[in-house]
Amino acid sequence: MPIGNTQPSVRPASAGRAGGAAVTPAAHRSGARPRRTRGGLGAERYAPYILVLPAVLIIVLLRLYPLLLGVNFSFTGDGEQNGTAVGFGNYRELFADPLFQTALSNVGLLVLLLPVAVAIPGLLATFIYLRVPGHRFYRSVYFFPAVLSPVIVGAIFNLLLAFDGPLNAVLGSFGVGPVDWLGDPDIAMFMVVGVHIWATFGMALVVFLAGFATLDAALLDAARVDGATLRQVVWHVIIPALSRTIQFVFVTTMIGMLTSMFGLLYIMTSGGPEGSTYLPEFYIWKQQGQMNRPALASAASTILFMIMLVVGLLQIKLLERSGKED
Amino acid sequence: MRQRAIWSAVLVVGLALAGCGSASDSGKSTSSDGKLVVWDWKSGEPFAKSYLDKAKADFKKKHPDVEVEFVAQPFDQYYTLLGAAIQSGKGPDVMLFNGGGQIRDRVDALVPLDDYVAEDKQRLAGWEAFAKDGKTYAAPVTLQGYPIYYNKAIYQKANLDPASPATTWDKFVADCAAIAKAGSKCFALGNKEGVGIQFWLSSMGSTTLTAAEYDAWIAGKRDWNSANVKRLFQTWKETGDKKMNSDGANSTAMFNDSFALFQSGKAAHVMGLMSDVGHWQDFNEFLTPEKLGVMKAPIVTAGTTPTLPYDGGIGYAVAKWTKDPKVAADLARSLSSADALKAFYADAGAIAADTTIDVSQAGPAVATIVGELKTGKPALHVALSSKTLDLMGRLSQQLLSGSVTVDEVVKQLAASDQAG
Repeated sequence: MPIGNTQPSVRPASAGRAGGAAVTPAAHRSGARPRRTRGGLGAERYAPYILVLPAVLIIVLLRLYPLLLGVNFSFTGDGEQNGTAVGFGNYRELFADPLFQTALSNVGLLVLLLPVAVAIPGLLATFIYLRVPGHRFYRSVYFFPAVLSPVIVGAIFNLLLAFDGPLNAVLGSFGVGPVDWLGDPDIAMFMVVGVHIWATFGMALVVFLAGFATLDAALLDAARVDGATLRQVVWHVIIPALSRTIQFVFVTTMIGMLTSMFGLLYIMTSGGPEGSTYLPEFYIWKQQGQMNRPALASAASTILFMIMLVVGLLQIKLLERSGKED
Repeated sequence: MRQRAIWSAVLVVGLALAGCGSASDSGKSTSSDGKLVVWDWKSGEPFAKSYLDKAKADFKKKHPDVEVEFVAQPFDQYYTLLGAAIQSGKGPDVMLFNGGGQIRDRVDALVPLDDYVAEDKQRLAGWEAFAKDGKTYAAPVTLQGYPIYYNKAIYQKANLDPASPATTWDKFVADCAAIAKAGSKCFALGNKEGVGIQFWLSSMGSTTLTAAEYDAWIAGKRDWNSANVKRLFQTWKETGDKKMNSDGANSTAMFNDSFALFQSGKAAHVMGLMSDVGHWQDFNEFLTPEKLGVMKAPIVTAGTTPTLPYDGGIGYAVAKWTKDPKVAADLARSLSSADALKAFYADAGAIAADTTIDVSQAGPAVATIVGELKTGKPALHVALSSKTLDLMGRLSQQLLSGSVTVDEVVKQLAASDQAG
């Protein structure tokens, strides 16, 4: 609350809300009160609103208004019907489109794979924290992929996973037949998600390491003295102590998966094979840019927005609940 | 990425300013000593220099007082920028277009050129791609078609006669078996983007559909349930079932991984292009002209005659807002004059729209292609909507992996084609 801090005279107006007011010295408050009752009442009362006005205006004009325009646009037609209202026509078309259904079910798949995407950096961070041999080396190496752009990562894995690529060559030397990693509709989505996790887990790892920094080492020592195994230490000490961090990583990883897989998809599979790796984002881009269906694309965007809203609210709720437990 | 965005923003602003400036310039001056502005996406390339020099020289002879300025736009934003120019009603006097949908969607902003280009009608090919409702809107520069290239060295290795490739589908399949025995694949196929089926459709169309069916298809009356249309997809499936295609076709990019497979001699055939990329001059980097052959499509349906599928590639059009359409049309004509196109063919390796150019220097493949232009027809896939093409791409991948039947494919495509 920068307003409260920089402008002591206004504080009483917001004192009811700001929890920070409780720690303010009483003298300060009593000094402010007489002034407020004497004069300039109107200006002081409206000052906070005026001060937040620019921020509110920016949010309303540049965020909410375009959002409403986009939602409104999704109820109009494309092509010859440009500008005319078509009701829920675009939405009906979307839900009848098997491609969009695939995109939505892939979102479901991402949610199911989320625990894996969180567990990998979590486990690796635990090992680094427990100082496995070479932990300094791993700490820097794990972060490397996070600085690469998805386009470069995608191009690298395109080469590695090509039908005549090195991975199949290695498999072949063990006598395993080649697999069309990016050409088999049952496998391709897992490969793309796998590469996405590989490329982004470095960030989550750093967050986990930061969480570990706040962990009380005495707890670990106590557990060891009591003769706990590594598994028991992880399960009964580390995970409970890091619950806030884990939840934070859950939220950011989910958002990352839903909103920043486009580059990888575009480079690695272009939504294929057989449309099996479509995600709503990619579908929106395709309809808007390639098919010249901007209104249909904005209907899909609206649905993606709703999904994100629901996911986000659920996660905020989870965070709040865990906050209470603390 | 951000760097790129900044640069393109700078470019757009710069070009927009240049465009405005020139529009007002030509507005001020009379047509005889004015200035014409041309937009394209080629003039920045080194290979276009001699082409432009020739075209400018030709134009200078006719209009010595008129200055010409070429503005190269980035291709990925070309039609967006052009759309903005059209909306504002001012911009370049002459502009480059892709044939087909790109120009047909924008003819409202263009001047019909029929009165100006009558003399060129015979000399140049590919006019249809720039025409709408009987009026022509651009003078063609290049042609884009879908010939079947083959590697004569692989034919020799497989004990096949490189001079006479198969003329029927059955013989072709047998040849492919021989090629497989010799250790090569029959087709270099990249169908990751679903484009492979488009080339297949157009390359094999003339020998699978009857002439009447072919013409009806182009005219928009497509009978998806006809046995021959199904046959087009059955032969496509057959190439997958008989392992005639390069491995992992559904995860191989056509541009340019599949062409690389062909160039490096891993596959005997490829359905390629005539201009821009994936064409004879590209291949010549590794395949000498003597080794590169162009074959007619093998006959699938008895009684059909193979023809080369091609359309106009790119061409220059004249904007409605230009001061003197006659002068601008003369510039468009100069840009497709014989000398200019000859330079474009030689330096860019494109098949120019001028069929009188002597191409015997470039090897037998080019001579074959140019020889077939006279009887060529528009390509089948160009007639389909982008929505149907996208669906066809996905279905073609399913056909290759065996998860859909041909009947189901034509049913879905018919529904999409009729809806669009």
